[in-house]
Amino acid sequence: MSSAPSSGGAIGRTKVDLVTLSIDGNEVTVPKGTLIIRAAEQVGVEIPRFCDHPYLAPAGACRQCYVQIEGQPKLATSCTVTVAPGMIVATQNTSEEVREAQVANLEFLLLNHPLDCPVCDRGGECPLQDQALAFGPGESRFTEAKRVYPKPIPMSPLIGLDRERCVLCARCTRFCDEISGDRFLELYARGAGERVSIAAGEDLRSPFSGNVVQICPVGALTATPYRFVARPFDLTSADSVCRHCSAGCNVRVDERRGDVVRVLARDNPEVNDAWICDKGRFAFLHDDAPGRVTTPLVRDHGLEPASFGEALLQVADACRQARVGVLAGGRLLDEDAYALSKLARTVLRTNDLDHRRMAQPLAVDRRAALSAVDRSRAVTYRDLERAPVILVVGLDAEQEVPILHLRLRKAAARGARIVVVHPRVTRLRDVAEHVVCPPGDEARVLGGGVDARLDDALAAVRAAADAAAILAGERPGAAAAALTTAAATGARFAYVTRRAGDRGALAAGVHPTLGPGGRRLDDASARAEIETVWGPVMAADAGRDAIDIVRAAAAHELDVLYLVGVDPLRDVPDAALARRALQNVETVVVQSLELGDLEPFASVFLPAASLLERDGHVSDWEGRSQRVRPLRSPAGISRPDWEIFAGVAAAAGADLGFETLDELHDEMGRLLAPHAATDEPIEPETPAVRDELTLCTYPLLIDEGRMSEGTAELKAALEEPAFAEMHPSDASARGLADGLGARLRTDAGEATVAVRVTEDIAPGTVFVPFNQPGLAANTLLSGAFTAAVTVEAADEPEPAVAAAGGDAA
Amino acid sequence: MTTEARLTRNWGNPEAVGIDGYVAAGGYEALRTAVGMTDADIVEQVKASGLRGRGGAGFPTGMKWGFVPRDTGKPTYVVVNFDESEPGTCNNRELVEREPHRLLEGTAIAALAIGCETAFLYVRGEYLWQSIVLERAVKEAYAKGFLGADVAGSGKRIDVVLHRGAGAYICGEETALLNSLEGLRGQPRLRPPFPAVEGLYASPTVINNVETLMNVPDIIARGADWFREVGTEKSPGTKMVTISGKVERPGNYEIALGTPFRSVLEELGGGMLGGGTLKAWTPGGSSTPMLTAAHIDTALDYESLAAAGSLLGTAAIMVMDETDCVVDCAQRMVAFYAHESCGKCTPCREGSWWATRVLERLEDGYGKPADVPLMHDMGKNTLFRAFCALADGTAAVINSSLQHFAEEYEEHVRLGRCPLREAPVVEVAS
Repeated sequence: MSSAPSSGGAIGRTKVDLVTLSIDGNEVTVPKGTLIIRAAEQVGVEIPRFCDHPYLAPAGACRQCYVQIEGQPKLATSCTVTVAPGMIVATQNTSEEVREAQVANLEFLLLNHPLDCPVCDRGGECPLQDQALAFGPGESRFTEAKRVYPKPIPMSPLIGLDRERCVLCARCTRFCDEISGDRFLELYARGAGERVSIAAGEDLRSPFSGNVVQICPVGALTATPYRFVARPFDLTSADSVCRHCSAGCNVRVDERRGDVVRVLARDNPEVNDAWICDKGRFAFLHDDAPGRVTTPLVRDHGLEPASFGEALLQVADACRQARVGVLAGGRLLDEDAYALSKLARTVLRTNDLDHRRMAQPLAVDRRAALSAVDRSRAVTYRDLERAPVILVVGLDAEQEVPILHLRLRKAAARGARIVVVHPRVTRLRDVAEHVVCPPGDEARVLGGGVDARLDDALAAVRAAADAAAILAGERPGAAAAALTTAAATGARFAYVTRRAGDRGALAAGVHPTLGPGGRRLDDASARAEIETVWGPVMAADAGRDAIDIVRAAAAHELDVLYLVGVDPLRDVPDAALARRALQNVETVVVQSLELGDLEPFASVFLPAASLLERDGHVSDWEGRSQRVRPLRSPAGISRPDWEIFAGVAAAAGADLGFETLDELHDEMGRLLAPHAATDEPIEPETPAVRDELTLCTYPLLIDEGRMSEGTAELKAALEEPAFAEMHPSDASARGLADGLGARLRTDAGEATVAVRVTEDIAPGTVFVPFNQPGLAANTLLSGAFTAAVTVEAADEPEPAVAAAGGDAA
Repeated sequence: MTTEARLTRNWGNPEAVGIDGYVAAGGYEALRTAVGMTDADIVEQVKASGLRGRGGAGFPTGMKWGFVPRDTGKPTYVVVNFDESEPGTCNNRELVEREPHRLLEGTAIAALAIGCETAFLYVRGEYLWQSIVLERAVKEAYAKGFLGADVAGSGKRIDVVLHRGAGAYICGEETALLNSLEGLRGQPRLRPPFPAVEGLYASPTVINNVETLMNVPDIIARGADWFREVGTEKSPGTKMVTISGKVERPGNYEIALGTPFRSVLEELGGGMLGGGTLKAWTPGGSSTPMLTAAHIDTALDYESLAAAGSLLGTAAIMVMDETDCVVDCAQRMVAFYAHESCGKCTPCREGSWWATRVLERLEDGYGKPADVPLMHDMGKNTLFRAFCALADGTAAVINSSLQHFAEEYEEHVRLGRCPLREAPVVEVAS
């Protein structure tokens, strides 16, 4: 299809006009439109600032960043003035007037500041403190009473506001307005009484709320989980990549005396800008959770601690001559996925290998795998910023890949037209058009003639060809339909899976049909390419996909179930089937951080090192592979997964061929490099047979998943109890009203939850979040993420509230 | 001193408040003329008249209209700034009370000049009666066909929407006014983009003061040369002045630009109240640097006042005599700016708040020697440092009072009380 350029992300690149100016006598050349404060950074001059933030629109509020521009009578704020050719700028380094003005402004800012640095979370990393120390007056000329406010004022269970420390820079309010679109914070009142506030009774209920804490230039907004927990100089930090979803956010993890206490966003304009979501920021307790097991266990009578050698031999023995099925979770590092793919194909000799939550047609998986090894095939965050039109199909970005949601908002702000085809209206509603359709109906809707707005958008996509982007999520049928549309229009396509390790696992071939680099194992030449590196591999017969592996295990067709970072009881869309599978195989190998609910079933437990203890790479939804660095060494005697796989091979008398990370990388480089590949034809989806009501489910960002365990404030702020969402027409037909209980029945089971009646869902669709408190939706599923469902009222409607209480005569 | 009454010529006619009286006095003739002119011709005629904005800055009105791009595909807007809030200023108020249709006629002509179909009247929140008067006038003008779908039979549409502010001085600043009009917080916007290019609803917008627009009908009806017959070369026309304070006859008067302050004080204001001595005066509202008796012969026009170190501003003359304490006056004025600061930027929000505290202390006799240099710093550190001009008003009060009356500040500190107040009697219990 499209003639992709050799490097990824080339949508709409334009020539940039350059401007040369002088700052403190240094010439600097920057793109036209650059702010002086940014240009100064280019020559290593840091102009003090509080309100300025590179990702927020200029405000000019704090007045700290004065500079002198030759020929102008007044000082200018460098955060609001753009460069001009030949401009001569003097900063505090060369102009006494500028320096004096900055000192004077600092004096104003400190008037009402409580100077409680010794007890402030920001103390030690606070711009106001740093500047006061660097050139503030040693003594205050202010002798009157300072402003006082009650504090901290909760903005949400996660965020507390100390108004006395606030310098009213409006970064937080601008973040809410410009970036997240969750407009909860606002400045109230005026003059010296101006203050940040929130509407009475409201919570800052945004999955991006933590960013306002990080960008606060003082300690006014603090995160409840970190309040009074640590001083910055007591922290050990490591640069990492967030493991909660496929967004690939760059983070810094801070540890104090062996415990992770804080996660911050690292600035990366190619990926997450300067933002992360609240899950990435606050859900960091998992690695240190009490359930973590750091020693191998072998079942004798009970599960007993064992040496790694012993445990690995047990695994090797159990797998020898056995029918092995391997299920992997979604959070393996790229190296782990590669090693697992090779272990399964060359040692365990099985193609019953899968990591996927959601099986897709081969063409979709292969496109995704190829985009990870050949970035010219990928859609990048940057591409989205430049795309004139973007289709988002079957993806609830805010809940599934939150930073992608922010990027789509940014794209919209830059003029992109965004159309979302999804069973529910998403939080892009204020910047995108939504076409709601029941799950499985995407192919029909995208086929044209159903929704005029969508048809119009499709024409725009066709016109923009490979400047347009189509993003598909995991809703059943959505990705196939979207890929068909991409093939027909020439638009760029990305399959956006939710979990952090999904793309790396696809690229490595943790997949029943695909080997490393998107190579089909049933394609002789592709297979030969693999064999030149791996030696002989498993026979070409296609393996079973995840749900079929579980079915086979339940049907006694497998001897060994090797579970790598996955809990079938929670993840498989049929909880009862998963339980039978675990009961019906001879050997269950669990390789993970913890045993959790698998404890009664595990034959061998292999303790894996956590991401924080790892050196390696994670690939995000774009296919971008990013390095993670260890914060600390592996807990106990846990090991990186790839080392464990190499150990299993060794115990089986084989050799995976790498003992060090470097050797592993060398080998990966040979198979995961761009290679000639033609796209798989995509066979048109046959529209699903429509049931009267279809159950649709996917996980919300903050749910009962293992990774969010122990995060009380995060859950209090953002977790919702289980609910079933229905269209008013479907609800009224069943005598259901908003807030009433409903009984849901499927072939797999039944459950009772509160109903939400909303116009924001496709008629005929019942949405139930996958794993909220009160309902694990996989108890209602039979192997797919949709199901026919019947819904009826569970309780009698509340009688109309009787007038007043007892004292009414 | 006699000046031809222009803006005030119908003030003796109580009928001029209604549309019939206004039309009988020749009203809306200019609009009838204007609908027959091209928009470019209207702009040219206003340019030729040399009319300058009466809201304080004195920007040439015709030039402002000429800046409005007409090819953006967006609507254009005229916004009337009737947020008259400067302490000492109330001439817009009387102009509207007595002859609201002159404003509507000027507004309609401005709308024709820039191809605007919707004009907004932004009325100071406290001006309830004036907005009632205006609302009635708007209804009358619609009924008579001077506003609406077919302005004066031209086939052109001009709608006028009246919007009352919520009571904030800052909303007289044009970009804060636009924010307020859009339902946002009344805080000034970053420029560029300038309102002429991206103003109301990000569309090209002209914002004019009430008095400015009320000059327009005569300029159209009687010509640019007629307009220039009065005033100076660079400041043609008449100007409404509001004189208040220690004068015998406070009130609104129309003068030729360039009239010396002495004649305004003595002839129009009736001289100093009770024969007092002139001590200080503000030429253009509290935000313009105060002057002294030494400046009594300064001409009231844009250039002469700038040369004297002050500004014409809104020509709101506040007169202080020998019984008025300058520190007390400064404290009251700065307190006003502290109260009205929008809070957006640091020097204004914190500076005016702190300066108020220090001035209170000085006036109450608790000043310290270091407070006078502190006030000097405060003035220096707020002037031209803030986001908008509001803080420059604060700085003007501080700087000009210190410039002319430093001794009086020092005396407050030395005496431990205000020299113009009786020394406090300390009763000692026996």
